[in-house]
Amino acid sequence: MLDRENTIQELHNGFIKEYSGIMFKELAFVKKINLRGDPNDKKFLSTNEGALQSTLPTKPNTLTYNNNIKTIWLGPNEWLIADYDNNNINDLFLKLQDINNNEESSITDVTENRTIIRISGGKLFKLLSKFLVLDIDKALYNESSVAQTLFIKVSILIVRNHKDNELPEVDIYVNRSQANYIYKLLVDGTKNLDF
Amino acid sequence: MFLIKCPYCGEREQSEFSCGGEAHIVRPKNPPDLTDDEWADYLFMRKNIKGVQFERWNHSNGCRRWFNIARNTATDEILKIYNMGERPPKIEGNDLKTPSGEPEIGSGNISTSFKKE
Ligand SMILES: [Zn+2]
Repeated sequence: MLDRENTIQELHNGFIKEYSGIMFKELAFVKKINLRGDPNDKKFLSTNEGALQSTLPTKPNTLTYNNNIKTIWLGPNEWLIADYDNNNINDLFLKLQDINNNEESSITDVTENRTIIRISGGKLFKLLSKFLVLDIDKALYNESSVAQTLFIKVSILIVRNHKDNELPEVDIYVNRSQANYIYKLLVDGTKNLDF
Repeated sequence: MFLIKCPYCGEREQSEFSCGGEAHIVRPKNPPDLTDDEWADYLFMRKNIKGVQFERWNHSNGCRRWFNIARNTATDEILKIYNMGERPPKIEGNDLKTPSGEPEIGSGNISTSFKKE
């Protein structure tokens, strides 16, 4: 039983919450761009990588980054570009739009589709493993790992943020309408982490 | 529940996938020429084999890609995973007399005493 209602509204305006040593933060309007195209197309690859100043990851379940812009593998011909700075993103979007203004590739602004819940703490993986069908220790074993999977019944994308010697921290990308549901479950899950 | 090896993401739980039904069904070239029966046959009638069946699967809660699976529906053994557009593979060595090894005549589950060669 939940002894009180913890809704995701308590994370509004960048407010940070802590439960049993697990920190929660919402990154609400991180700019996200969906990019699709053929990675065997040399021109597609070089122009987009030039604009992003990082490579497009072709290895499944990985990401590459340049400063605070992450390029996340979603599929063999699909990527998600997330700009955590939100600064010059419109320039970047327009640049990418210009590059991909053709029949073979496409670019879409999907910022409002998903929100990001950032979670960190020593027992983070133990908490997450309560809800996931994925073997998270294996899936996020390497730095720059990502995984698309199910959280109970909700489709999510998990991005590993920490380096090997740092405290575990992940970003969970989840549909805005389902964010509250998984936030409540996560907070509830922190209550018996010591067993 | 069983594990499926997504050609892109690797081995994942079945609940991350959704089954798209029988594979290798070809859309008729000229639908107006068909009788209602032939059209209904194309649209609705599917095999329901106890044994090796070719199916389309989608990693809907992962990379969202389609691929084909040859699965023994009696044992849930996945015999082959191959790309969309490929021809169905020849599956050998899975030709049990009956799909789960029970007697051809009569009933009763003796699958526990069945020895796979
Ligand atoms: Zn997959």
